[in-house]
Amino acid sequence: MLDAIQDWMLTTPINELVLGYAWSWPTLESLHFLALCTLMGSLLVMDLRLIGFHNVIPLKAVHSLMPLAIGSFVINLITGVGFLFGAPYMYTENWAFVLKMILILLAGLNFLFYFLRIEPALIKLGPNEPTPPMAKVVGTLSLLFWFGVLSLGRLLPYLGIGGG
Amino acid sequence: MGFLAWVEASQLADWVRMSTAGYPSMITLHAFGMAVMVGISLVLDLRLLGRFAAIPTQALNRLQGVAWLGFAINTVSGSALFTAQATSYIVDVIFMSKMALVFLGGITAAILQPQLAKADSWPGGKTPGSIRAIAWLSIVFWLTAIVMGRLTAYLDISF
Repeated sequence: MLDAIQDWMLTTPINELVLGYAWSWPTLESLHFLALCTLMGSLLVMDLRLIGFHNVIPLKAVHSLMPLAIGSFVINLITGVGFLFGAPYMYTENWAFVLKMILILLAGLNFLFYFLRIEPALIKLGPNEPTPPMAKVVGTLSLLFWFGVLSLGRLLPYLGIGGG
Repeated sequence: MGFLAWVEASQLADWVRMSTAGYPSMITLHAFGMAVMVGISLVLDLRLLGRFAAIPTQALNRLQGVAWLGFAINTVSGSALFTAQATSYIVDVIFMSKMALVFLGGITAAILQPQLAKADSWPGGKTPGSIRAIAWLSIVFWLTAIVMGRLTAYLDISF
């Protein structure tokens, strides 16, 4: 099943686009790197507020960074899918890639938990109001997960090079 | 033997090139520092250009230290990575353009960051034109620095 999907990926025009031109891969990588910076930058501002690093900012105000974070993530999802269509087996046979995907999933669940359970009670927090311990935990986990994602992504070529 | 050849023959360079942990650990730290410095700088630039208006500009002051921590991490990890191929990096057009752009990005950050504290004294809360111009430059420098950094791995153009 998984092999069938990967073999299909190799026959798609996306595969051709990603591998067929010398500029495709470096362009995707540049976009992936740019968006990872804006993703991590906006996450740092938001999560550090949750953790209590700069309580002078009203909690609701840091949420104005959410579109930048989500937009950056979408760019990295699209460029990432491009890499996957280009060389599916190189990634799926690498445990570092699998772990990276698991961490992204955990980061997503952590965000969902924040969005559904923490944020509704917090959104009224004004400047200089401290966050409850649970918000600090969620903020810390978010940074740990995303820096983990960043590490595993950068280490992909050096870790767990499988049978590919 | 020239200085750069000596650097390249050093134990540090050898560790970065040859050991299992050397290059991967330095390149990962370099990605951390990049995300922190460039990510925060871009958020600050965009704030100065009027985005995320709900965030009080002067409240972003404390992030400066975090951004420069990222810059420091990259100065150290970047220097270590440089030693591994010092003699080829120094004549690499793409790599040296990246270095120039990082230097320029750092200068714009150093100019812009002290301005954050003065933001509440700007008439009508509007960022002065000169500051806006530098914020735009900062964005251009960081974005092109990252693209050049990536292209270093693909293009081989020597001086």
